[in-house]
Amino acid sequence: MTDVSLPADPVVGGGHRKSALQQVLSQPSAVIGGSIVVFFVLVAIFAPLLSPFDPNASDWLAIRQAPSAVHWFGTDDLGRDILSRILFGARASLLAGVIAVAIAIAIGVPLGLIAGYFGGLLDAVISRCTDALLAVPFLVLAIALAAFLGASLQNAMIAIGVSAVPIFIRLTRGQVLVVKGEDYITAARAVGVRDRNIIVSHVFPNVLAPVVVQGTITMAVAILAEASLAFLGLGQRPPAPSWGSMLDVARQFLTEAPWMAVWPGLAIVAIVLGFNLLGDGLNDALNPHRDTE
Amino acid sequence: MKPSAKSMVLACMLALGTSAASAETLRVGMQDDPDALDPAIGGTYAGRIVFDAMCDKLVDINETLEIVPQLATSWKWNDDNTELTMSLRDGVTFQDGTPFNAEAVKANIERMKTIDESRRKSQLAPITDVEIVDDHTIVLKLDAPFAPLLSILTDRAGMMVSPAVAGSADAFAANPVCSGPYKLVDRKARDSITLEKYDGYWNAGEIGYDTIVYEIIPDSTVRLSRLQAGDLEAAERIAPTDLATVRSDDGLALHTSPGLAVSHLFISQKAGAGVLADNADLRHALELSIDRNIINQVAFNGEFTADNQMIPPSSAFYSTSHPMPARDLDAARELIAKSGVENPTIEITYENSLTDGRVAQIIQSMAGEAGFTVNLLPLETSSAIDRYLAGNFELYIGNWSGRADPDPTLYTFFGSDGSQNLNGYSNPKLDEVLIAARKELDMDARKKLYDEAADIYLADLPTVPLYHPTWFYAAQANIDGIKIYPDGILRVTGLKPAGE
Repeated sequence: MTDVSLPADPVVGGGHRKSALQQVLSQPSAVIGGSIVVFFVLVAIFAPLLSPFDPNASDWLAIRQAPSAVHWFGTDDLGRDILSRILFGARASLLAGVIAVAIAIAIGVPLGLIAGYFGGLLDAVISRCTDALLAVPFLVLAIALAAFLGASLQNAMIAIGVSAVPIFIRLTRGQVLVVKGEDYITAARAVGVRDRNIIVSHVFPNVLAPVVVQGTITMAVAILAEASLAFLGLGQRPPAPSWGSMLDVARQFLTEAPWMAVWPGLAIVAIVLGFNLLGDGLNDALNPHRDTE
Repeated sequence: MKPSAKSMVLACMLALGTSAASAETLRVGMQDDPDALDPAIGGTYAGRIVFDAMCDKLVDINETLEIVPQLATSWKWNDDNTELTMSLRDGVTFQDGTPFNAEAVKANIERMKTIDESRRKSQLAPITDVEIVDDHTIVLKLDAPFAPLLSILTDRAGMMVSPAVAGSADAFAANPVCSGPYKLVDRKARDSITLEKYDGYWNAGEIGYDTIVYEIIPDSTVRLSRLQAGDLEAAERIAPTDLATVRSDDGLALHTSPGLAVSHLFISQKAGAGVLADNADLRHALELSIDRNIINQVAFNGEFTADNQMIPPSSAFYSTSHPMPARDLDAARELIAKSGVENPTIEITYENSLTDGRVAQIIQSMAGEAGFTVNLLPLETSSAIDRYLAGNFELYIGNWSGRADPDPTLYTFFGSDGSQNLNGYSNPKLDEVLIAARKELDMDARKKLYDEAADIYLADLPTVPLYHPTWFYAAQANIDGIKIYPDGILRVTGLKPAGE
C-alpha cells in the first residue's frame, strides 16, 4: 500500500512555466478587478474607522439632504448618513458573497467529484437533480428559498449558496470527466491507489482552477443576488444597511433625492465589475488551454 | 399641400375619435387586489372600493359622516329604539333583473347572518328578526338598542345582492350580482377587475363611464407614473412623498379627505408575550419615548395626522380631554426604572411595506434613546397577517381602516370578545362602557360614554395609536365629480369626463 508519487498537477507542473501568481499578475483585467475587490475588502474591514457617522443613527432634522460637506453622500429618508451606510453595507455584500460561494463550493464540488469519478447510478441521480435545479432560474430559486427561510442576511446567504450549488456540481463533474481519462489517473488506478486518494490528491487539484474562476464570478452573482433579495425585503434586517435595501427605499425618492439611489447603485456596479474582471483575468491566467494556443 | 391637409384632418378626427372612446373608460390604479367579491365575505379596503361600483347599500354616508339614503329612502326608530322601520326605493332591479324589494332585504340579512363564510355575522348579530311590512317596507328588530346599526348598513353589511344567485358563497364571488351601477365582466387575479355599466340602474343619469377597470399596481410610485403617462384616469393611495409631484402637475388633480383609519402599535397582553404584556408603566414609557410628529414628518412629509387615539380628531366622538402627549425621554426613562425591567427588549412585527418599515425604524431609533432595545421583524404580507390573526406577535403595526361609527373600531379592538381583539386585552369596566355606548342613541350621552372609554383604554394602553392617514387620490384634472369621504372610498356615482 505504498503511495505512488505522481506529479500533483501534471498540467501546470513544468518548470518552464510561470507561477500561477505571475500568470494572474500579467493579466490587466485581473489586476484591475483584484484592486477593486481589495479596496472593498479594506472598506468592509475598516468601516467603523472610516465612517463619519453611526450608520443607523437618525438625524430627524436632516431628512433626505443632498450631498454636502457634512454628509458627503447626503442623507436618506430617515436622516442617516449615506456614506456611512455604504461603508457598512460593503460588509453585508462581501459577507453574502463569500459565505454563499463557500456554501456552494462546499456542497457542489464534492458532489461533482463523486458524480464525475464514479459515474453510473450515483452520477445519474446527482446529475438529474442538478438538471432539475438548473431548470429553475438562479434568482427565482434564491428568492423562493429566502422567502421560505425568512428574511435575514444569514438566510439570504444560505439561499444564494444553495441556489449556486448546481453550477458547481456540473462544472466539477465536467472537469472530472476530462481529468479521469488522463494517463496519470489510469496509472494511479493501475498501481492500486484508493479511489478516495485519487480524488483528493489527483483529481481535485486538477479541477481546482476552473472552480476558482467560477467561484470568483459566482461572488459577483451572489453579491448581486444579495442586493436583489434585500431590494425585495428578503435580506439584511433593518436598520442594518445593505446596498440592495438602500436601493429599495431610494426608488421611492428617485426624483426628489436621486443621491439615495446613486451611491448604493454605483457601489453594487463597482464591486460586481471588480469580481467579474478578476474572474475573467483568473480564467485567462489559469485556463490550461490558453498556454497551448 | 392638399393631401397633407387632408391627412391632417383625418389624423385629428382619428385622435378625437380615440379620445372620445377612451374617455368612457375609467381606469383606476389600485394598491391591492381585493379578496372575494361577495359583500358577505369581503375583508379588504380595496374590495370596498370595487363594491361601491357594483353593490348599492341600504344607506350611505356623506362628507360629514351623516347617514343618507341609498336603497332605503327613509327610516325611523321606534320609541324604545329596538325596531328600525325602513322604506325601500321603488323601481330598483338587481343586475340579473330580479326586483329589489323587502323580501330581498330579508333574504340578504339572513344570508349574511347564516352562511359559514360570512364576516358580517357579528355586525348583524343585534338583528333578531326582519319583518316584511309590505313590498317596500321592512322592520329590523333588535334584541336591544344598537346605535351603530345604520352606520354598519353603510358598509358591506348593508349591500344587497340578488337573492336569485346568492346561493353558495364560492359561486357568488365568481359571478356577483348586486343592484349597483356596474356589473362584473372580468377578473384577472392580481391584475385587473373590469366592470361594465348596468343599463337598468335606478340612478343611471349620474353614471358617466361605460366601463371601469381597476388595475392592481402595488407600487405607489408606479401608480403615479402610470397616471402621469395617461394610462390611468385615477389612482388611490398616492404616497405622501409623491404629493408634491401631483400638486405641480397641471394635468392632475389631488383629491383628499381626512381618514377614519388609524395606524397603531398593537401590544400583546398575553402571558409570556414580552416585557410589555403585563406592564402598563413600560407601555407608557414606550409611548413617551416616541415623537409622533417626527413619525408624521419623516415618514409622511407631515401630510397625515399624528394622534394618540384610535378615533380620529375629525370624528364627533374624539376625546378632547386627552391631548397627544409630547415626547418626554426623562419621563420614559423614569418609568422604565420604576418598572424594574433592565434594558427592556421588544420585537415589532410588521407587514414588509416601505411605509410600515420606515415607521418601525423610526420607533426603533426613538425608543432606543429611552433605553428600549427594539428588534424588527418585517414579514411578507400574508405571513405577517397570518401571525396577526393568530395573535402571534409581541408588537404589531396595525393598520385599521376605521368606520364612521366609533363602535366598530373601539369594540372590535378593546371589547373582550371583539373580532380584532387579537392581543388578549380585557377590561370588564371598558366592556361595560362600550356596550352602554352601543345602546345609547342620544348623541351627547353617547359621546360622554366614549370619553369614558378613552379614559380607560388610554390608561391601559393595550395599543399605542400613532397616526391617522389622510386619503390621497390623484386623478386626471379632466374628471368631474370626484368626492372622497372619510371612508376613503372612490364613489363612482357622479363621476364624469369633463364637458359631458
